[in-house]
Amino acid sequence: MTSERYILATGTALPGEPIGNDVLSNRFGINETWVENFIGTRTRHFAVDLGTGQVTHTLTDLGAQAAAAAMAAAGIEPWEIDFVVLGTATPDELMPATVNRIADRLGIDQVPTYQLQSGCAGAIQALDVATRLLDDEHETGLVIGADICAKHLVVDRAAPGVAPAQLVNYVLFGDGAGAVVLTNKPTPGAMRVHRVLNRFTGLGQEPGQVIRWFGLADRHSDLPAFEEDYKAIEQRVPGLARETLLETLEQTGWHLTRPDFLLPPQLSGRMTQHIVKGLGMDGATEISCVADTGNNGNALPFLQLDLLAQRIKPGQRAVAVAIESSKWIKGGFTVEAI
Amino acid sequence: MTTRLAVVGIDCQFPGAVNKDAFWDLLVRGEHGLSAVPRQRWDADRFYSAGKQAGTTNTRTAGFISDPDAFDHVFFGISPREAAAMDPQQRLLLQTSWRALEDAGMAPTSVAGTSTGVYVGIMSSEWANLHMTDYAGVTAHRGSGNGYCMTANRISYHLDLKGPSLAIDTACSSSLVALHSACAALRAGDCDQALVGGVNLLLTPALSIFYHQAGLSAPDGRCKPFSAGANGIGRGEGVGVVVLRRLADALADRQPVYAVIEASAVNSDGRSNGLTAPSRWSQRQVVADAYQRAGLEPDQVRFVEGHGTGTTLGDMIEVRALGDVHGADRTQPCLLGSVKGNIGHAEGAAGIAGLIKACLAMDRRILPPTICAAGENPELRLAEHGLRLAARPSRLPKGTVFGGVSSFGLGGTNAHVVLSTPPVRREPVPPQPGGVLTISANTVTALHRNVAMLAATVTREPAERLAQLCHSTNVVKSTQRCRLAVPLSTPDALRDTVLALADDPGMVAAASRRPAGKPKIAFLFTGQGSQYAGMAAALYANCPAYQERFDEADAVLTPLLGRSIGELVAGTVSIDDTALTQPALFCVQYAMAAALADLGVVPDTVVGHSIGEYAAACAAGRLTLAEAAAMVVARGALMQGLPPGGSMVAVRCSVAAVQPLVDDEPSVSVAAVNGPASVVLSGAADAVARITAALAETGIQATPLTVSHAFHSPLMAPMLEPFGAAIGTVPQRSLTATFVSTVHGRVVGPAELDTDYWVQQVRAPVRFADALGVLAERAPTHLVEIGPRPVLLALARRAGFGSGVATLACCPGKRATGAELSELLAVLYRDGLAVNWTALYRPGQRVLRRLPPYVFSDDARFWASAATVDTGPTTAIRTAVRAPVPIEPQRPTDVGSRVLAAIAEVGDYSVDDLHTGTRLRDDLGYDSIMVMQLGDRLTDLLSDDEPLSVQELLPQIVTVGDLMSFVADRCQDGATAAHRSAKGAP
Repeated sequence: MTSERYILATGTALPGEPIGNDVLSNRFGINETWVENFIGTRTRHFAVDLGTGQVTHTLTDLGAQAAAAAMAAAGIEPWEIDFVVLGTATPDELMPATVNRIADRLGIDQVPTYQLQSGCAGAIQALDVATRLLDDEHETGLVIGADICAKHLVVDRAAPGVAPAQLVNYVLFGDGAGAVVLTNKPTPGAMRVHRVLNRFTGLGQEPGQVIRWFGLADRHSDLPAFEEDYKAIEQRVPGLARETLLETLEQTGWHLTRPDFLLPPQLSGRMTQHIVKGLGMDGATEISCVADTGNNGNALPFLQLDLLAQRIKPGQRAVAVAIESSKWIKGGFTVEAI
Repeated sequence: MTTRLAVVGIDCQFPGAVNKDAFWDLLVRGEHGLSAVPRQRWDADRFYSAGKQAGTTNTRTAGFISDPDAFDHVFFGISPREAAAMDPQQRLLLQTSWRALEDAGMAPTSVAGTSTGVYVGIMSSEWANLHMTDYAGVTAHRGSGNGYCMTANRISYHLDLKGPSLAIDTACSSSLVALHSACAALRAGDCDQALVGGVNLLLTPALSIFYHQAGLSAPDGRCKPFSAGANGIGRGEGVGVVVLRRLADALADRQPVYAVIEASAVNSDGRSNGLTAPSRWSQRQVVADAYQRAGLEPDQVRFVEGHGTGTTLGDMIEVRALGDVHGADRTQPCLLGSVKGNIGHAEGAAGIAGLIKACLAMDRRILPPTICAAGENPELRLAEHGLRLAARPSRLPKGTVFGGVSSFGLGGTNAHVVLSTPPVRREPVPPQPGGVLTISANTVTALHRNVAMLAATVTREPAERLAQLCHSTNVVKSTQRCRLAVPLSTPDALRDTVLALADDPGMVAAASRRPAGKPKIAFLFTGQGSQYAGMAAALYANCPAYQERFDEADAVLTPLLGRSIGELVAGTVSIDDTALTQPALFCVQYAMAAALADLGVVPDTVVGHSIGEYAAACAAGRLTLAEAAAMVVARGALMQGLPPGGSMVAVRCSVAAVQPLVDDEPSVSVAAVNGPASVVLSGAADAVARITAALAETGIQATPLTVSHAFHSPLMAPMLEPFGAAIGTVPQRSLTATFVSTVHGRVVGPAELDTDYWVQQVRAPVRFADALGVLAERAPTHLVEIGPRPVLLALARRAGFGSGVATLACCPGKRATGAELSELLAVLYRDGLAVNWTALYRPGQRVLRRLPPYVFSDDARFWASAATVDTGPTTAIRTAVRAPVPIEPQRPTDVGSRVLAAIAEVGDYSVDDLHTGTRLRDDLGYDSIMVMQLGDRLTDLLSDDEPLSVQELLPQIVTVGDLMSFVADRCQDGATAAHRSAKGAP
C-alpha cells in the first residue's frame, strides 16, 4: 500500500473565447447588472456557438485537450499512462463511456479506465479513486474532470417570457475540462497529495440539483431536464463547506497551521465569495476561477489546481473543498508543493 | 558488457499493413493480412493442387504487400527505363530507408557523406530469376537492377552513405543476421550508424512449390505458430528497415529510441540431422550466448519473439531449445509469440519483421498477441519449458523489460537478439509561441500530398507540442527543393492554415516556392523616432535568440549608461531623451540583427539610417558590440548635453526646392534626404520656422518632428570634437557585408569607417535616398527592417523596390506578438535560405517528435512477375508491364526537339517531363551508361563522322538546356565549317 501520490502536471481546456455578460444580455435579454450583482460571474466558455447553435466541442474534445496539455506539461507519453479516471455529469453518450473515447483520442490502450457519474464533487471523487489505484504496476494515471452544458442551452429561445429560474442557468454555467497527471513517484515541482476526503452525506435528503436524461420512450417528457433548489443550496453549502474544510485539515494533521492557499467551492462568483467569508481562512490566498470560467462542474477543482500549480512554491500548502448539492456530497483534499 | 545500441528509426510494409502504425494496429488487434494470390503475381489456380503433383503447391493464399510496383523514380532521380529494370525489392528498400531515416528524426539528405552502414537481409530475387535468363533482354540497367549486393549498394549510392554496404543471405534468418552484423560493425567502429533492412517479394510460385514438395506448406497458406492447428508454412512478403545508433549517441542527440539492443549472437547448426533440419542444441546455444553477452539470466527475459514458422517439428525443436534455457526456476513464465501468424513467413524479411514487432512492443510497452488458431499446441508443453504463449495483448511490467528475438535459417544459420525498453526521459514542455512548420518535397504535387499527411498530425498534437512538432519538421522535412512554411503564430492559426493547405492543392502551389538560389538579403536599420516605450518587448518575451542577444547588449551598455536598457524597454517609461533613445535603439537593433545571424539570416548588404548605422556596422562586422556601445552612449550623452532649442521638420519636396532657403539660414541644414520629394530640415527653431513659412507660401507643407535636438544640423558642431576624442581610434576590421553609407550615399570600404566617419555622421545629412539607389543596383531579393517598427520599408517601396523584392520587418510596432520573427523566417526559408532553426526554439522545445514519413508518389508503376512473364520452359520474357503507358515520342523536326527526343528515349521519359532546367544526373538519373547511349544517338543526330566523345560531353552538360545549346552550337559549327569549306573549294 503506497501513500505517496503526486500531481505531476495539470492541464485545462476551455472552449472558444470567453463569453461576457453583455453577450448574454444581448442574446437572451438577461439583465447585465443583475448578473454582476447577484451572480458575480463575469465570463464563461461555451462549447456551442451562440450565434448558430452549432456544437463546437464535445466532452471528448475538451477532456482529451486538457489531458494532452497535462501530459505535455509532464513530458509524459501515452504508453506511460497506467489508468484513466474521468469525472463528469454530462458524458457525450451513455455508451461508450466518454473516458474511453478520450483514451482512444490520446493513444492510450490496454489500461483500466473509469468514469464517475458525478457533479461538482466528481473531480474529487475521481482524484480519490485515482490515488487508490496507484501501486507497483500503476505508477502514472490521468485524472480528468469535464462538463458541457450545451445540451441544455437552447440558443434559439426567444428572450421575453423566459422564467428567471431558467435564465439563471445561462449565466451560472459554463463548459470546460481540467486534468492532472497523478503518480506515486516523487518528482521536483510536483504537488504531493496528502489527503482526499470524499463522502456521501445525503441520506434522507431531497436532492438540491437534478439533471435528467431522456430516451426514446420519454424524450417528449414534460419534466425539466435540469432543476436546482437554489434556496437549499444557499442554505446548506456554506455549512457543509466549513465542515469539509475542518475535517480535511484535521485528517491531514494541518488543523493547527494555516495552509498558504485555499481552493473553495466554485458555485458562482458571488456565492463563492460568500462561502469563503464563512470559512474563516483569512491569510490563505484564495484560488478561484468560477467568475471567469462559469460553473463548469467537474472541471472546476482541476482548473483551480492548474492556477495553483502556477503559484505554489516548494513547501507551500493548499486545501481544496467542493460540495455537490445533488445528493449532498462532501469533497476535499490537501496538497503540498515539493 | 558490450556497447548498448539503439533502434531509433523504423519503416516497414507488411501484408495488411502499409506502414509502421498500421502494422502495430494489425498486431495489437491480433489480425492477419493474408489474402488470395493476386492476379498480379501468378495464376494461383494454374499452380494449385491438393496432392503432391509436380510443379504445384497446396495453397492459393499467402501474405502480399500492396502496391509493390509503385516507385517514385522521379524523387530519386532514376529514369523510368532504369526503374523498370530494377528489382522491385531494391525500389522498396530505397523508399523504406528514406522513411526510416525520417522516422529517426533525421533528414535523409543530412546523412549524406557520413559513416553510415547498410545491411540488407535478402534470400531470393525472383525478379532476377525472371529476367536474367532472358539473355537477349539483358541490358546494362537490368544488370545493375539485379543482384543481392545492389539492394544495399543502391541505398548507399542514392543516400551517399560511406559505411559498409552489404547484403546477407542466410535464408530465413537473413535480416536478423544482417542486424547482428550491423551491431558488430557499430561496436567495432566500422560505422557510426546503420540501416538494417530485410525484404521479400513473391513474384513467382517457385518457393511455394518447393515448400509444398518438401511437405512444409500449410494448406490454408497460414503460419499458426505454436498452435494446435499448426500444419506448415504460409509465405509472406515484407520490407522493413530500422536505423541503428549507439545508445549514447542517440541519447546525446535527444533522438527518440524504440528499443535498446543489449546483445546478439549468431551460430550455425553445423552438421545436424540434415542440411535443412533445425538443431535444438545450436538454437539453445545461440539464445544462451546472447543472454550471456547481455549479462542476463534467462528469468530476466520477459518475452521471446520466436521464429515460430508453425511447422510441427520446427515449433517443437524451438520450444525445447528455449526450454533448455528458460525451463529452470522462474517465478513467471517467459511469453512466447511469433509475428508469422499475422503476416506469414516473410523469409528474407522475417527477422526484421520480428525485430520491428519487438521494438514497437518495447516502445509502447504492450506485447501484441500471437494469432493462435485452435489454441496452443498442448504437445509443446510450454509451461514445462518455462514458457507461455502470448495469446493476448499484455502490458509490459514497470521498469526495464528485456525481450528476445529469434530467427533461424534453412541450412542452419541461427540468430538471437536481446532487446530492452528504452530509458525513460521525461521532458516537460515549456510554453512557447513561436516556431515554423516546414514541409518540402520534389514537386508541388508531392508537397500537397505530404502536407495532407502532416495535417493529421498537426491536428492531433496538443497545442503545447506544436513548437516541438515545428522543430521536428525543421530537422526532418525541410531539405527538399520545393518548399512550404507555416509560422506558428497561434496553435489555431497553424492548424487552420495546414488544414486549408491540405484541402487545396492550388493554395499549396501559390504558397510554395522552388527557389533557384539563396536569398540576397539587405538589412535596413531604422533611425531615431521609431522608438516607443516597451519596444520589441513581445519579441523579448517570446524569442529566445533575441532575448539572449538583447541581454548580451544590455550587459555591455548598463555600466556605460548607469542603468539597464532592459528595465527601460520592459516598462512604460518614456525613452524619448536622446541620451537613452540612442542606446535603447542600438540595443534593440543589435539584438535583432545578432539574433537573425544566429538564426542563419546574414545580410548581403546593410544600410543604416543615422543612429541605425551603428548596429549596421556591427552586423557588417566592422564594429564590435563593445566599440559600438561605447560610441552610441557617448554620442547620445553629448547630444543630450547640447543646449535644447533646435527643431526638425519633414518636408514633402525635393532638395533643390528647399536648398536656396536653407542656404540663406546658416543655422539650418538638410538633415536627411529620404526620397526625391521627402526631405528633413534641421537647425535653430526660429530659422526653421522662417523656412517653413516660406515653404507654406509656395504650398509646400512641413511636418514638425518631435525631437529634443536638431540632429544633423550645424547646432551639432560643439559636440563633434569631444565626440571624436571620446571615440579615440576605431580599430581596423574588415567588412562581412557590403556597407552602403548614408553619410556618403555610396558603398564604403572598411577603412573609411574610421573615427572621422562617425564624427562626420553626427552633422552630415542622411543621404538615404542615394543609399537606396545604390542598394537597388545590388539587386537584393529581400529587405529586412531592423528596428522597433517599420519606417524605412515604406521609403524603399516608394523608391521603387517593387513586387520582386520581399519587404519584411522584425517587429511591426506596438501590436507585435513576438511571432513575427517566425513569419519572417518562414518567408526566407521558403525563398531558399538555410535557416539555423535551433536558435528559434527554447531547449525544451528542441525535442524530436516522430512525424509521418514522406509520402512517395505511386503514379509510376513498374512490374513483372510470373503473371506477366511466361514462366514456361523457354523462360523468355514476353511483356514487362509499365504503367502509366509511356507517351509516344513526337516526331521531332528541329535540332532542339530531336535532342529532347533523344534524352527522353534513353531514359524512357516523356518529352513533356523535360525542361531546359532539368538536370540530367540529379533529376533524370543519367549515369555513365546512359550518357554513352545518349552520345550514340546525338552522333547520329549530328550526322558526325566522329562519334561524340562522352568525355567531351560530360563536364559541360548539367541540364537539358546545356545539352540543347551544346548540340545547337555543334550544328552551327558544322554548318559554318561546311560553308567555309564549300567557299574555299577550288
